[in-house]
Amino acid sequence: MAPSLLFNPAKLPPSEALQLAQQAPVVLQGSSSPSETVDQWATYENLLLACLRTGDDEAAAKCMDQLEARFGPDNERVMALRGLLSEAQAENNGELEAVLKQYDAILEGNSTNLPITKRRIALLRSMGRVSDAATALVQLLDFSPTDAEAWSELSDLYFTQGMYSQAIYALEEALLLSPNAWNIHARLGEVQYMAATTSGSGGGSQQKYLAEALKRFARSIELCDDYLRGYYGLKLVTTRLLKEQAKQAKQTDDGEFTLPDPKTIERLDELATAKLSEIVRHSTLKDRGWRGYDEREVAAARELLSQNGIER
Amino acid sequence: MTWISNTITVFGGLLLAHACYSAQEHAALQSFRAAATSTLTSSTPVASSLPVDIAIETIAATLVIVLGLVLGTRPLRPIQWRVWAGKIEREGEEGFLGNNGEVEKDYMGNPFTYLESRPSFVDIRRQRKEFAEWIKNGGGGTGKK
Repeated sequence: MAPSLLFNPAKLPPSEALQLAQQAPVVLQGSSSPSETVDQWATYENLLLACLRTGDDEAAAKCMDQLEARFGPDNERVMALRGLLSEAQAENNGELEAVLKQYDAILEGNSTNLPITKRRIALLRSMGRVSDAATALVQLLDFSPTDAEAWSELSDLYFTQGMYSQAIYALEEALLLSPNAWNIHARLGEVQYMAATTSGSGGGSQQKYLAEALKRFARSIELCDDYLRGYYGLKLVTTRLLKEQAKQAKQTDDGEFTLPDPKTIERLDELATAKLSEIVRHSTLKDRGWRGYDEREVAAARELLSQNGIER
Repeated sequence: MTWISNTITVFGGLLLAHACYSAQEHAALQSFRAAATSTLTSSTPVASSLPVDIAIETIAATLVIVLGLVLGTRPLRPIQWRVWAGKIEREGEEGFLGNNGEVEKDYMGNPFTYLESRPSFVDIRRQRKEFAEWIKNGGGGTGKK
């Protein structure tokens, strides 16, 4: 099924982004009709993003002109898109610095311009000035603390720097703002699991992270039936917990965190295995009603299952 | 399965039409008789209520039509969060087809993906670079499409 221009193309694989960008001539030609439809401007924005990504600067510039003609160059969102365009076309660091100066100048005039603030942070990060980006992002969150997207970005920023506890904190804030987001629950579980695997200090903090990750994955499954990512994470965590318990029989009663008793963990493990194999089986056969999963995710689950089959 | 519901609906429609026709005929007959009797004896007003069988037929026809329409509806949308979310993950777009076979307008997938793709913070330069790489490596087989 062809991807729709109504959604942001950032997550699409390159082939589908290319398909989107190839629709550019058709969409741009249809634009001469005077009546506006509901989806028209969302289509333009996403087309612009897809064209920029695929390097079709000409079509992107046309989209930009249309948007600017409709909303005026002073619209904050249009300003951010314009900035994006010049970022994409900048060829060396000097030009990027110029774009950055431009952002600073805009923010000088109106420091509450959120889209531009976000572009500036993204540009700083893209240029490798991660600590500047983090400072700017924290400032942004100081005056706009209900922005779940910004919290999530901050978490990702810390995560790439290996600062797991800060990343976890930021994700928890994002979860406070959108408590039903099952993918963010799973993401938090993943970050906690990674924190547990890298914290070499052993014992305390590692166990705590694992217990937390177990809870997060369980919550993501509670919010979403047959959630492949959630079950995958659950399987990872339970496998690891069971292995460690076999190794160090009793070190779990610290009182500060509560790990469920081994029997519960075993049952969770069995549940995750059963569910994963069910999902893998159905999606490999391409059964009706099971075709929504990402093929790569299914392949990863299959690998995990076969690994565990060998270990047993 | 749609032919069953369609047959039932059509059958109910026929029954209803038949009931209407019967009622109309009955009314015509009554008025004719009233006219005939009034010329003879002007004092006996005729009780002109519908016969029971026509009333029953009308009610039965309505029920049959309702049954046919209910059987013919598409499965209802889930109203529990986890079921709905699970449907998005498990079936993707296919689970949200409208009557015309196209994806419904208000389908948007997981509404929280923006927290992971973060469109306001998009790193367009890296995306461009990755896309150029992908093209260079043969475009995954679909580049020439």
